[in-house]
Amino acid sequence: IMMFSVSHKTAFVVDHCPYMAESSRQMVECDMLTKSRGQGVIPLAPVSKSLWTCAVECSMEYCRILYDVYPTRKLVHYIVSDSEFHSLNSWRQEDQSTQELMAALASVGPPNPREDPECCSVLHGLVAAVESLCAITQYQHEARRTLMDVADRVANRGRIICLTNAKSDTHVRMLEDCVSETIQEQNKLAAGSDRLMPIQRCELVLVHIYPQGDDTLVSDRSRKELSSVLSSEVHSVRAGRHLASKLNILVQQHFDLASTTITNIPMKSFLCVSVTLKEEQHANTSANYDVELLHHRDAHLEFIKSGDLHMAGSTSRDSGLKETVTLKWCTPRTNNVELHYCTGAYRISPVDVNSRPSSCLTNFLLNGRSVLLEQPRKSGSKVISHMLSSHGGEIFLHVLNSTRSTLEDPPSISEGCGGRVTDYRITDFGEFMRENRLTPFSEGVLDASGRTSSERAKAQLERHTRYWPMIISQTTIFNMQAVVPLANLIVKESLSEEDVLTCQKTVFNLVDMERKNDPLPISTVGSRGKGPKRDEQYRIMWNELETLVKAHVGSSERHQRVLECISACRSKPPEEEERKKRGRKREDKEDKAEKNGKDADEKAWPDSERLKGPQEREKEEQTESEMIKDSPDSPEPLNKKPRLMSEEIQPPQKSKGPVSLLTMWTNRITATSRKHEVFAGRLNSVNNKAELYQHLKEDNGMDLHENGKATR
Amino acid sequence: MPTVVLMDSSLSMTRPVSQEGSEEFQRKNLAVHGLTMLFEHMATNYKLEFTSLVAFSSLWELMVPFTRDYNTLQEALSNLEDYDKTCLESALHGVSNIVQQEWGSTCPCQVVLVTDGALGIGRGSLRHSLHTLKQRVEDKKFPLPFPFPAKMFIMCIANVEELQSTDAMDNLEQLIGLNGGEGQIFTMEGPLCLKSVQSMFGKLIDQAYTPFYAVLHCGNLASDVQVFPRPEPVLVDEEVDPIPKAVQTDLEIVGFIEIADISSPPVLSRHLVLPIAVNKEVDEVGAGTTEDAEEEPSANQMAGKSPNFCVLLHGSLKVEGMVALVQLGPEWYGMLYSQADSKKKSNLMMSLFEPGPEPLPWLGKISQLGPISDAAENPYGEDDSKSPFPLQPKNKRSYAQNVTVWIKANGLQTDVQKILRNARKLPEKTQTFYKELNRLRKAALAFGFWELLKGVAELLERECTLLPDSAHPDAAFQLSHAAQQLKLASTGDSQYSAFNHNITPLHTDFSGGGAGDRM
Repeated sequence: IMMFSVSHKTAFVVDHCPYMAESSRQMVECDMLTKSRGQGVIPLAPVSKSLWTCAVECSMEYCRILYDVYPTRKLVHYIVSDSEFHSLNSWRQEDQSTQELMAALASVGPPNPREDPECCSVLHGLVAAVESLCAITQYQHEARRTLMDVADRVANRGRIICLTNAKSDTHVRMLEDCVSETIQEQNKLAAGSDRLMPIQRCELVLVHIYPQGDDTLVSDRSRKELSSVLSSEVHSVRAGRHLASKLNILVQQHFDLASTTITNIPMKSFLCVSVTLKEEQHANTSANYDVELLHHRDAHLEFIKSGDLHMAGSTSRDSGLKETVTLKWCTPRTNNVELHYCTGAYRISPVDVNSRPSSCLTNFLLNGRSVLLEQPRKSGSKVISHMLSSHGGEIFLHVLNSTRSTLEDPPSISEGCGGRVTDYRITDFGEFMRENRLTPFSEGVLDASGRTSSERAKAQLERHTRYWPMIISQTTIFNMQAVVPLANLIVKESLSEEDVLTCQKTVFNLVDMERKNDPLPISTVGSRGKGPKRDEQYRIMWNELETLVKAHVGSSERHQRVLECISACRSKPPEEEERKKRGRKREDKEDKAEKNGKDADEKAWPDSERLKGPQEREKEEQTESEMIKDSPDSPEPLNKKPRLMSEEIQPPQKSKGPVSLLTMWTNRITATSRKHEVFAGRLNSVNNKAELYQHLKEDNGMDLHENGKATR
Repeated sequence: MPTVVLMDSSLSMTRPVSQEGSEEFQRKNLAVHGLTMLFEHMATNYKLEFTSLVAFSSLWELMVPFTRDYNTLQEALSNLEDYDKTCLESALHGVSNIVQQEWGSTCPCQVVLVTDGALGIGRGSLRHSLHTLKQRVEDKKFPLPFPFPAKMFIMCIANVEELQSTDAMDNLEQLIGLNGGEGQIFTMEGPLCLKSVQSMFGKLIDQAYTPFYAVLHCGNLASDVQVFPRPEPVLVDEEVDPIPKAVQTDLEIVGFIEIADISSPPVLSRHLVLPIAVNKEVDEVGAGTTEDAEEEPSANQMAGKSPNFCVLLHGSLKVEGMVALVQLGPEWYGMLYSQADSKKKSNLMMSLFEPGPEPLPWLGKISQLGPISDAAENPYGEDDSKSPFPLQPKNKRSYAQNVTVWIKANGLQTDVQKILRNARKLPEKTQTFYKELNRLRKAALAFGFWELLKGVAELLERECTLLPDSAHPDAAFQLSHAAQQLKLASTGDSQYSAFNHNITPLHTDFSGGGAGDRM
């Protein structure tokens, strides 16, 4: 896509001289109903459009299609010419709409037949058009500003479409010469101006409109170079239908459009079914309708390249210049959301926007349905090549890939790295993704530190992942409902006093749980026996909680206070001294990790590594009654809710203080569901397979469970 | 990106290579040696690439259709026979057909032409083909440029001096030129021997078959990945300074979006994102267990057992029906999603959007997408019942705003009939009647079609006279009021013909007018 090609600027010059008020002599019967109303009613005489009306409505149709397909960057300046020029809009993007132009046209009104023909000329408009092409558009301005020192490389090209009624070929020559001279003059002027740009290329398209039944006084002429800057072509067209199809062809040529006809549309699929059926009964027509759409021609690229254009059902139409590719409607089966492999999406514009089939199709799409389109093939095989779908009130023709994929039969993700791990926190990460969904913010919104919205999104991801164990057996706190309030708050950029209070309450609650000796959802995967003792469980939990909060102490003083609360409240293990000795090395590691915190992607888990390390606990004996039933014994944890598991293990009777309704309810559910103790082998199993002689290696003084770092 | 190996099997390939050593080689042997090296590389480092083997002389033959089975390719290579003279043009036609039949005309391909640089004589020679380029009729065009995007690598079992002593080099350069400059000519340096052919194919491998490794980041979560096929630099088609953009090796997730919201976006290319074990990690894992090496699981198995972010991400994307928006470079984005090949197999895939700040109109500028926590209230609703997407454009498109088009007679007739139909149901249809009347009025004023206004005014007056006795008295008042207003508008009197002026219903004392009206 050339940024500023000839199609960036289109100046319409429409002749508003008295002769344009002449009738086109194309009669329109308005009084259709009268025929069915018995005798005595005199039908209204047919009305006829003037040359002006024909010119205006066809140019509006040109603009309608243009704006549908290119809502931005393709600009129209509409100029009307009589005894002087009238500029109906400007190059500004805000002025680019058919409603604006219609309002302006209404204020101009039809040509005044009584005006002095000697003072009137389309030349005023042509001169204004050339001047206008020298004016800088906002897009050119932005490009020049960003390119600064090479601003002169921003191109200035444009097209003038002149709708007029010329007297003769000589008259046409005169108009061309005038444009050519004006360009020379204006370019000299523009060269010395900062606010103007010389025209590098101008295409003049002269359309001579004459009434039906007349002989034309002007001959058609294909494009001719009049100078190094200016080319010109002349189209001599009868007003009415011919003019409409001429401008339709021109808009396709000028903006690289192509035509697709949707065929086999079952009108029953549409909401307007009742009206249609009635009409059908009257008209006795078939149930299927065709709708023709225009769009960028790249939507047909595959057909063009493969030489399939004709095979794909393209047919020549009307003038023989226009071709359309026929695609077959495939009734959508379901409304399910699917991600198609789509190689292009192009805005469409219906050729016959107000016809019933067309508006039924567009309304169907605007209501959110998508339609797959099938390419008819000689062989009779069915190939879905396109899809129609609307996004935010705009309909796009999507090009779907219909050839063999080079990525077929890839290795499954379960065969690769990490593919054998079965207890990923899939549900938790799903929740994480929902919290990190994106939403649009208004242009230019920067926060205090000058970050754009998407930079803030990334910053949030960074905060939310400072401590995020990937598997269930690597974490205790994220399997505990009781930790959720704190875990949700601590990742915030800033905390309110209330937030701090909530975090403190969470900590107090944990202290209370410990006091009551509530069991914790400690993973027993890979450890010998029945897992660590209760006080050891709490030590692990507190350590992990500290790790989480420490990752955020730098955020604010309030975050710091949460950590202080934990340090003050957390249980002190009985043999603290001994542990300190053992833990010194770890502490060092922690400190380092904290410092490296942000960039240590792969190294981010020293604490969790430590936590999952079962060898620290392995010596400690456990009684059967303290066993924890959270071990993931199913290989597919997709739908598991780890948080519920932690609720599951809260013993119903032990809580003494005030209990929430939720706790009471879950306790009750748990009480009834807990019928038997789970076999220890299953509890410790991976993929429902318990490893035999799992401590053989450890007895040899080696340990496989902590990345090969032997701890003894 | 599938590869076609186009192997010159003409007689000249059997020319012996002068060697001081003991063994005598043909050029063909060197070519086979080089290709073996390429196939071995692909079998280990690029195994998802589809490759086919075409042998050619004056005719061409598809020896092995596109496959990932490099043993088959290797076998076919060692069984190649020797034929007559070189005719590159027909062979390139063959390549063009083979690729299009298999992959269509949008899939980019690589063609590896292996030749000794003796490009035939007389008719059918490359020289002849190039000389007659401009005299071709439509259906006998030279096959280059291919209809599909293609890179052409020419592996010459010859050194530069030899090629330059004839016009072979010029002709090959011209060939690359015909391919839009996409491709490269490789020649052998020094004496023609196994070592120099290895070094030449080594350069090809570096150029075209090195795997693309990257690190996928989501905040502090990360995974080493291979992206396959490797993303090629994209030429941004700007008028000023076309700059090729390459995907950077740090892929950063920006955030997440529902599949329904991203809504089948157009993409430049699709790639598998395969988590890989980086050696140092495997070493670390293995370090403590070297003593009982026999029992030690292979590095792959170990990698399979240690948690990987890609697998977690893939699982959650699949379950939640979401995609991750990923930044590929400055103002360049893509999306990660789960793609199911069959019911059992699924994969993490990455699609690349067109480079630019706003790849999808319905998402808006990516830099303006921020976390939902920044919004005053959750734009997805507390129960996920709504969505901030798609963005609505400022202006509605023509098909969404009931525009008036009278290019075809029936467009105009339908609009007039609508008015008349409602006119007969006055006063019940007062609102609709005036709505349609005003729509017609506006269009007629814009098109300068005053004659129509007068015509419709006459029609309404006639309707007025045709009202049955049972008609509500209000009907007559409204019809003559409307007719009069249209006539006034058709005079062009600015008081009555303002575009934004609407004809409003006449206030009458007959209560109930328009009460039961439904739009």
